[in-house]
Amino acid sequence: MRILKTQVVIVGGGAAGCYAALNLHRKGIKTVIVCKGLVGKSGASLFAGNLVLSGRTLGNTEEQARNTAEFLIKYHNQFLIDQEWAKRCGAWIASVYYPELEEAGLYFRRDDGGNMVVSPGKIRSIAANAQGNSGVPFMDLRRKQVIKAGIETIEETVVTALLHNADGSIAGVFGLQVLTGEYVIVLAQATILATGYSDRLHARSTGTREMSADGIAMAWRAGASMVNLEMQWWHTNDVAYPPTWQRMQIYPNPMLGSEKSARMVNSDGEEFFDQQKDDPLAFGPYTVQLKALAKQVHAGKARYTGGYYAGFDHCAPGEVEAFTTYAKVYQQLGMDFPRTLIETAITAHYRQGGIDVDTTTMASSVPGLYIAGGLGGHCNGLIALVTYDGKVVADGVADNLANLREPGLPGEQVEQERERLESLLTGGEGAACAPGELKESVRAVMWEKAGVEKDARSLNEGLEEFARIRREAVPRLRAKTPVRAANYDWLDAIDSLNMIDAAELVVLSSLQREESRGPFMRRDFPETDNESWLTANLLHKAGNGYRFEKRDYNLSMFRPGFARADNLAVPW
Amino acid sequence: MSEILQASGAIDARRLGQAENADSLRARNTRIAIGDPVMIKVRRSDDGRLQEFLTPYTKAMRVLDALNAIALKDAPDLAFRWFCGSKMCGTCAVRMNGREVLACWEAVEPEMTIEPLRNLPVIRDLVVDRTPYERKVASFEPWLTRTVPYPGFPEPLSHRDIKNASKAIDCISCMSCYSACPVIRLGSLTDFAGPAPLVQLGQTALDPRQDQRQVARALSHSGIFNCVSCYKCEEVCPAHIPIVSGVIEPLKAKVVKLVPQMARHPLAFRAVVARRGRIDPGELILRVQGLRVLAVIPRLIRLLLRGKINPLRTLLGFKTSAAGAATRILNKTESSS
Repeated sequence: MRILKTQVVIVGGGAAGCYAALNLHRKGIKTVIVCKGLVGKSGASLFAGNLVLSGRTLGNTEEQARNTAEFLIKYHNQFLIDQEWAKRCGAWIASVYYPELEEAGLYFRRDDGGNMVVSPGKIRSIAANAQGNSGVPFMDLRRKQVIKAGIETIEETVVTALLHNADGSIAGVFGLQVLTGEYVIVLAQATILATGYSDRLHARSTGTREMSADGIAMAWRAGASMVNLEMQWWHTNDVAYPPTWQRMQIYPNPMLGSEKSARMVNSDGEEFFDQQKDDPLAFGPYTVQLKALAKQVHAGKARYTGGYYAGFDHCAPGEVEAFTTYAKVYQQLGMDFPRTLIETAITAHYRQGGIDVDTTTMASSVPGLYIAGGLGGHCNGLIALVTYDGKVVADGVADNLANLREPGLPGEQVEQERERLESLLTGGEGAACAPGELKESVRAVMWEKAGVEKDARSLNEGLEEFARIRREAVPRLRAKTPVRAANYDWLDAIDSLNMIDAAELVVLSSLQREESRGPFMRRDFPETDNESWLTANLLHKAGNGYRFEKRDYNLSMFRPGFARADNLAVPW
Repeated sequence: MSEILQASGAIDARRLGQAENADSLRARNTRIAIGDPVMIKVRRSDDGRLQEFLTPYTKAMRVLDALNAIALKDAPDLAFRWFCGSKMCGTCAVRMNGREVLACWEAVEPEMTIEPLRNLPVIRDLVVDRTPYERKVASFEPWLTRTVPYPGFPEPLSHRDIKNASKAIDCISCMSCYSACPVIRLGSLTDFAGPAPLVQLGQTALDPRQDQRQVARALSHSGIFNCVSCYKCEEVCPAHIPIVSGVIEPLKAKVVKLVPQMARHPLAFRAVVARRGRIDPGELILRVQGLRVLAVIPRLIRLLLRGKINPLRTLLGFKTSAAGAATRILNKTESSS
């Protein structure tokens, strides 16, 4: 068992975790990154398609700057966001974010004349190298900045538990190095969780293989409070097949260098969504699209699992291929591009909510535990926003480091965790329950009982299903073979327990919010209710149980402007 | 000749073969009926044998879908690495029927053998150790170092000037090319860094903003002239990067400028052709080896007996009728490069 001591340990190697590490390093604070995948190559950050211009960047007008703020608050967060935080974040993105990336070498796409290629319209965006693929060079740059800085990284290592000091503060993390099967402990004064926002909790999810809500589950067990876990976003435009491409999106937002964007048609061939016509302000029109699709589903002209189509048959091929990677899906399937549309389906995308944080420091409710990125419940986790989190958390930790205690090695907790993991490899009673199957059954419950549209009955049935899984399957859970090296079956067993914990919290939070809001649709409460629910839905741990609490938001810039309305009739 | 050039005026040479490729992609996605069996033989590392599995074909099935299906049903202990499942993370490359593919991207074959990448240590089953590759990349200092202060966002930069680097930026470091490279296969016989690390180097080395001293440092231990331009790397690259023509060749040109002592052989080759209109092996050996030829006289005799060298021609400075044209063309490319 390897034991390291550092000042700060960061769990996660995406946009938030890397930027936090780079900022801490600049401040001379010793930092270690533990990443379940590979730094800059796993997780959701790779999927950033393009980068939205905020503020007055690159000739944005005052109106475009205001539109960008409005779309973040309304369309992306349904007003469940601290607007003062949004202001601070927007100002930082406009003044620091783009120059920092470009100075470090990121190539923002130009044309042959040297002009930055921008998507035109009410909200504008640019791309790193190619639209649809911006996250790849963005994160590759971060990976290399981390290497250059000499920041220690422990990759392909799953953190399985947070360790505590005697006073309840966090002492560091316990992890399993997946490729060797060896354990590792990183003790630190501060622990930053940056594990992302897009877990594979549903049958169709954009979360990558390794994302299994570990951050939510571990932080909850450590006593952290959650907020708005029910606010689940959905992609309506991910390809319906093959299964491995379920996070491959036919991006609906405007194309770089063109006035057009993808259109969607129902099973009768009728167009029901084109962002340029249906909502030009909704730059990230996911919620608008989702509502349009829900109406098609209710009319029997689409299913959430397919039967509707998306593509670029109204565009010239060169128009799509000049600055985007959007044609690759069609071409790889041997489809006639752009004349053929592809069948698409709903996919659970990111969780807007997450762990509750103090947005001035990114501290959670547990001493010594900090959060950065989409895992936090403060915003939805676009790549620029989570990068800002990386800066804020580094400042927050640095300012408070002197007050955070030196960690000791909590021997008893380490032994308990080791035994728990060993029993998932070799223990269990009776006929084994296969970890892969358990994961699939959790996803099936979420899909059927807590999918796009849900109600108290389906949600309660979901809770009963989880109780049954805990009773009948979990005690028999173990890997098929006890091999230690690269045993992903063992990893699945570890993951699946986190998934059950997190899924239950999501369902409980969904039951609590008695309204519909944006992508959150309750059949039994179809109205958006700004009288009772323009509020954070906080979930606190209380003894062996839980309790809910409401907290109002700062609405200094934008307000919904109505008390109650049918959610499907609300534009955002 | 001129007729052919004229006739091909309307054809973009880079698009040649694309229609055929599209046809084959269509075929690859439609030749198996849904529900039909797909036979997968996977190389297991514990006993080195191929283990056989059958799984029913599902619509547009990828190799990764097949692996996930057998892991869920028959072999949960099968080790294979993937994260994104959609050609972004570059961690799922394997060899299918002897060819490097991204498991998440490639259509299944009715019968397919799946093996780990070559030229890297196997950790278990299909999972390879990426560290030898990562060390090479890190040794190239793959980050931008500016020689003039950054002027602020957006800085002046044209796509034309960064075109080759932009292609290299599409690299997802899947190491398919590293596995396919026959020179890397030779192991420590050469000091060739391999295609993937060179593409990573090309991302900054072919960027007009980059400090050329850093490029020179990296190229001096790249072993780049061991590349035999066989194009195996380009053939397997899932990101369609022109690895030889768009990265390795431009990097070789940089070596000539920045580290000319590394480029003795190609420079001598070029000088011989420019002077004579064809290669003269004898002169090439003399120019590259100099007085060191005296140490290999038995080998020279063998070359002489087999007619590979002709000392008389070499010493008399024999030229072909193409010498004038060769001089003109090579001088032209020199001034334009």
